[in-house]
Amino acid sequence: MEQLLAVWVESLALEQPDGSTLRDTLALLDSLDALCPFSEGVRLGLYALPLRGPSRFFGGDEAVMRLVRECVLDVVGTEPKLGVAEGLFCAELAAQRELVVPLGSSEAFRRAQPLEVLGRKDLTTTCQRLGLHTVGAFADLDPARVGERFNRHALYLHRVARGELSEMEGQRDLRLARRLAQLRGEEEFFEEQQGFFGQRGAGDDRADAAAHRVRRRLGAEAVVVASLRGGRGPEDRATLVPWGSPQANVRDLAPWPGQLAAPSPATTLAHPVPLQLRDAANRPVVLNTRGTLSAEPAAVIFSSPLRREIIWHAGPWPLVERWWSRHRRRAHLQMVLASGEALLVVAESSRWWLVGIYD
Amino acid sequence: MFAFSPPRPSLSPELLAHVRPVSLAKSRTVPLGEPWRSFVPGGALRRGSTVVVEAPVGLGGLSLALSLLSEASALGHWAAVVGVDDPGVVAMVELGVDLRRVLFVPRPRGAWAESAADLLDGVDLLLVRPPSRAAHGAARRLMDRVRERGTVLIALSEPRAPWPLPADLFFRVTQAEWVASSRLDARYLTVHVSGRGEAARGAEHVVVVPNRRGRAEAN
Repeated sequence: MEQLLAVWVESLALEQPDGSTLRDTLALLDSLDALCPFSEGVRLGLYALPLRGPSRFFGGDEAVMRLVRECVLDVVGTEPKLGVAEGLFCAELAAQRELVVPLGSSEAFRRAQPLEVLGRKDLTTTCQRLGLHTVGAFADLDPARVGERFNRHALYLHRVARGELSEMEGQRDLRLARRLAQLRGEEEFFEEQQGFFGQRGAGDDRADAAAHRVRRRLGAEAVVVASLRGGRGPEDRATLVPWGSPQANVRDLAPWPGQLAAPSPATTLAHPVPLQLRDAANRPVVLNTRGTLSAEPAAVIFSSPLRREIIWHAGPWPLVERWWSRHRRRAHLQMVLASGEALLVVAESSRWWLVGIYD
Repeated sequence: MFAFSPPRPSLSPELLAHVRPVSLAKSRTVPLGEPWRSFVPGGALRRGSTVVVEAPVGLGGLSLALSLLSEASALGHWAAVVGVDDPGVVAMVELGVDLRRVLFVPRPRGAWAESAADLLDGVDLLLVRPPSRAAHGAARRLMDRVRERGTVLIALSEPRAPWPLPADLFFRVTQAEWVASSRLDARYLTVHVSGRGEAARGAEHVVVVPNRRGRAEAN
């Protein structure tokens, strides 16, 4: 991966209402461009340029850093913090600590960082309870475990931690280039930024505005969007994340071994409801170690007075999965009740759970 | 300022159904997929109309209502689903809904009608399941706004908590029967379709929702 010189200019990080921040940013970028044509404004206060070309031209990394420092002092009048590392995520961290991470050492540098650099408090706290304190320790977790324990955003951070992604969501201000172009008075047509839902149209903007209105009324988590990922049962495959979360539109529709066939239940419970299965003699039905039922289920009991007769069932279809390194035995069972309702239930650790309703 | 401002003209409901702001000028209907297309006048959902889907609990009402979204969604229209607390996302994909253009408000708490109204300008189809019996006034206001904005409202209700006002289209599930082999294969729904205008006479149809692939199809 390419070595980047990250330039952190504290005085430009907070935008002033008089427009001076944007004007200074523009002036700085124009000057940096004279040193390296690939300089870019990552967001206000953070600028980056690839180091290799300028270093060869100006006679070494030190020479480039000296020139950049002088350039920032000239244009903005403040001292920048500089850092060199591979990938934008590491380069910004290097700049904060004013370090030059030699080529090939960025992996070790990233892994040695404290978990706080990922910017998620809950993840940091939980991982620390598990004895994981560094980005490297978090990166070594099985992605499947991370996905089960946390949400999709954590999976994204996990990819950053593993070095599969070289920059982090939120590091880059996607509107900055456009705002700078507007300030320059360039009439050039800027391609509409690839948004949350891919190619954008007027309809998408209207939908965004509508989602904003509901969020203002009900709170940030009120509007959710859905996507599918790999998994066996419909309860595993659905991903519902608050509207506006990063990476919510990634779909993973690869065939999954042992996937429960269509049709899927129109209601899939995010929080499965415990229930009991009873045989004709009213004894509990359990899933035994061979993955079969101890008896034919005749009734389902949701809570003590609520009992429904089962007129048909199919399964169990066993699933053996790893869950936090412990073997986990689960099995799906479909059933139709005398009332005509059809349910999807799951047996897990000798208990039964309602996961879906075909309503 | 003007000494007086003229009052906004009040338009007749018939006229309201046909006028809409210029900026929102668009087709007067939202496409409807099979098998429903052949059961409704014009073979599509009229913008500004209210569709009520009524089914006893657990007997296919949600699947039916979601299947009404699929064609439009696949063709690029936005939809919102309000008050369906645990949407079966996989089932929606099987029905043909494009999740990239669906907003969910699973738990609007007491504000289902307000949330629905908030979403009206942003989506072409709005599926709502009121948490309990919808109040007459709230339903009236929502339907009026739907008519103004040219959205299609799909209200999902139960016989014991019916939608309080007559709908432009009314789908009533009267019977549901599962066909199963080694697993659940298909559900045959008997649906009575009625409504206003051409649909007033009403007719009963048997449809398969879902079939073995999770889709809706004619019997």
